[in-house]
Amino acid sequence: MTSDVKIPDPLELERAEEARLRSAAGLAPAARTGGEYSGFESVGLPDRPPETEREQELYTLDEGEMLVNMGPQHPSTHGVMRLVVKVRGEVVIDIDPVLGYLHRGIEKLCENATYTTVMTYVDPMDYLASMHNEHAPAIAFEKLFGIKAPKRAEYIRALVVELNRVFSHSLMMGFLALDMGGITPILYSFINRDEVVDLLSAISGQRMLFNFFRVGGVNFDANDEFFSRLGTWRANVVKTIDMSERVITDNEVFRARTIGMGVLSGKDAIALGVSGPNLRASGVPFDVRKAHPYSIYPELEFEVITHAAGDSNARYLQRIAEIKQSIHLIDQIVDKMPHGPVQAQVPGIIRPKPGRAYGAVESPRGLYSVYAVSDGGPNPYRFRMRDPSFISLQAIPKLMPGHLIADTMAVMASFDPVMGGVDK
Amino acid sequence: MRLLLDRFPDLAQTLWTDEDTVEVRAQGAAIPDLLQRLRDDPELSFWFLADAAAVDYGVDQHFEVVYHLYSDKHPAWLRIRAHVRRSDPHMPTITHLWEGAMFHEREMYDMMGIVFDGNRDLRRIYMSPDYRSFPQRKDFLLPDDAADSPAAGVNPLERPETWDLSRLTEELAPGVVAHVKSET
Repeated sequence: MTSDVKIPDPLELERAEEARLRSAAGLAPAARTGGEYSGFESVGLPDRPPETEREQELYTLDEGEMLVNMGPQHPSTHGVMRLVVKVRGEVVIDIDPVLGYLHRGIEKLCENATYTTVMTYVDPMDYLASMHNEHAPAIAFEKLFGIKAPKRAEYIRALVVELNRVFSHSLMMGFLALDMGGITPILYSFINRDEVVDLLSAISGQRMLFNFFRVGGVNFDANDEFFSRLGTWRANVVKTIDMSERVITDNEVFRARTIGMGVLSGKDAIALGVSGPNLRASGVPFDVRKAHPYSIYPELEFEVITHAAGDSNARYLQRIAEIKQSIHLIDQIVDKMPHGPVQAQVPGIIRPKPGRAYGAVESPRGLYSVYAVSDGGPNPYRFRMRDPSFISLQAIPKLMPGHLIADTMAVMASFDPVMGGVDK
Repeated sequence: MRLLLDRFPDLAQTLWTDEDTVEVRAQGAAIPDLLQRLRDDPELSFWFLADAAAVDYGVDQHFEVVYHLYSDKHPAWLRIRAHVRRSDPHMPTITHLWEGAMFHEREMYDMMGIVFDGNRDLRRIYMSPDYRSFPQRKDFLLPDDAADSPAAGVNPLERPETWDLSRLTEELAPGVVAHVKSET
C-alpha cells in the first residue's frame, strides 16, 4: 500500500450518499447549519488587555495554534477547574489553569469562627482527606493553647488518619484508570472506600465530613463496633487492594499511557513545591511524618518509600506502596493503643494567649499545614491553610507541553488534585 | 539555631522560638537575598519552601508576609516574618528561587493586595480578573446578606429587627429573649 492512498472520510461518504438520494427523489440539497460538535468549546481572546507578561505570552497565537477550553465542567478535571490549553493540532503547547470556581473563602470564614467550629469549616476543603484537614489545625491550636492531647487520643487520631489515607489512595487508583477510559477499577475503588468510610462513620458518626478532631483530643472514643468492623476490614483489605491492583497495574493500555508520561525530576519537583507521594515518586525522600514527626509517628516503625522514575506510573505505584505501608501502620497502632481518656480538659470557649503557631501534617496529597495567629480573642485572628494540591497543580503547565491533549487528564489524575482543596 | 545566628548576626534581635519553630524577622527588601543564602548554604540548606502567607494586622497597622522553610539538617521549622507597609504594599518576588512560590504570591496578591515586584504572572487567582477588592483584608466586611436570603424571617434570629438585642422583645421572637438573656 503506497502512502498516497486516500482514506475516505466517512462523513463525506454519508453526505454524498444523502445528496445522491435527494437528487434521485427530486429534492433540493439539504441546508447545512453550524459546525460539528467537538466536545471542547473553543475560547476566543479575552476582551481586555493582558495584565502580565505570562498572559501576553499565552494569548499570543502563532500560525496553526489554537486555544481550547477544558472545563470547568469537564468530567476529568476532578472538580470544577478550567484549563485554557494552547494547542497545535492535538499537541499541547501551553496550559493556563484558571481556578476559583469552588472558592468559598474558608480562611475568611475561619476568622469568624471559634477554635472549635473551625474543624467543621476545614472538612469540606480536601474532601477526600477530611481527617488530615482536621489534624493540622488541631496541632496548631494545641500549640497556641499550650495543651497536649491524651495518649489514647493521639493513637486514635493516627488510626483514623491512616484509614483516611488508605481510602484516598485507593480512590486515586480508580480515578487514574477512569481518566484513561477504564470503568471497572473505579467500582473496586469505591467498594474499598465504602468499607473504610463505614469504619470511620462507626467512630465519628459521619461518612464524609467527620468533624471528629477537637482541640485537645477527639470527639468520641473508639467503640466496640469500630474495632469489630476494623478486624473484618483488616482481614480482607490486602486481598481487595491486590484485586483492584491486578486490574490496573499490568494492563497494556494503562502501562502505555503512564510509563514515561509526565516525567517530573526531583529538582523540578522541589522548585515547584510539589510534596507528598508526588514528590517521593520523583525520588525525594520527604515525608512530614519522618521529616518533622508529629503525633505518635516517632513511636512507629516505617520507612519513607520512594520511586525513582517520576512518571505517572511511579506516582501510581507510590500510592499502592503507601496503602500497604498505612495498613502496616494501622496494625502497629492497634497493637500499641493504650487505655485512658480521649479528651483533655479544655474550657468551652477557647481563648489562647496572643501568639503564632504552625502545624503541618502529611496528607495523602502532601504537606498540609496551618498557620494560626491568635490575638487573645475567641476567634483565630488569621487562619492560613497550605493545601498541597493547590501547589502541586503548578506542575501541570510545566509537564504537558509536547504531549497530546488526551494525556493532559491522565497526567493530571496521577497528581490526584482535589479541587475542594485547591480553591479553598 | 546557633549556626543561623553565626551566619546572620543581625537576626538575633528578633529571634523567637517555640517547641518546634524558630522565628526571625527581616526587612522585606532583604528577603530574596536572605532566602537564597539560607537555601544555598550547604550547612543550612533550607531547600523546601513549606508555606508563604500574608497576615493583615489591621487598618492602622501593617501587613506581614510569612515564609516557612524546612531543612533536613535542622529539626525545627524556620519562620521568617517580613514587614510590609500598608500604604505601599510592595515586596520583592521569590519566584526565581522557588518556581512554586508563584501560586503563593498570586494568592497573596488576590486576597491581600500585596504586589510582588518582579513576579511575571501576578494575576488574580481565585477572584475574577475584573474584581477590585482584596477580600482577606481586615477592612473588607462581609455583607449582611441574611436579610435577603430565602429563609429570612423564618428563624426569628434572622430578622434584622432582632439583631439589636436592646430592641429584642418577646412578641418579635417568642422564646428567644429568655434564651439570649440566660446566655448573657
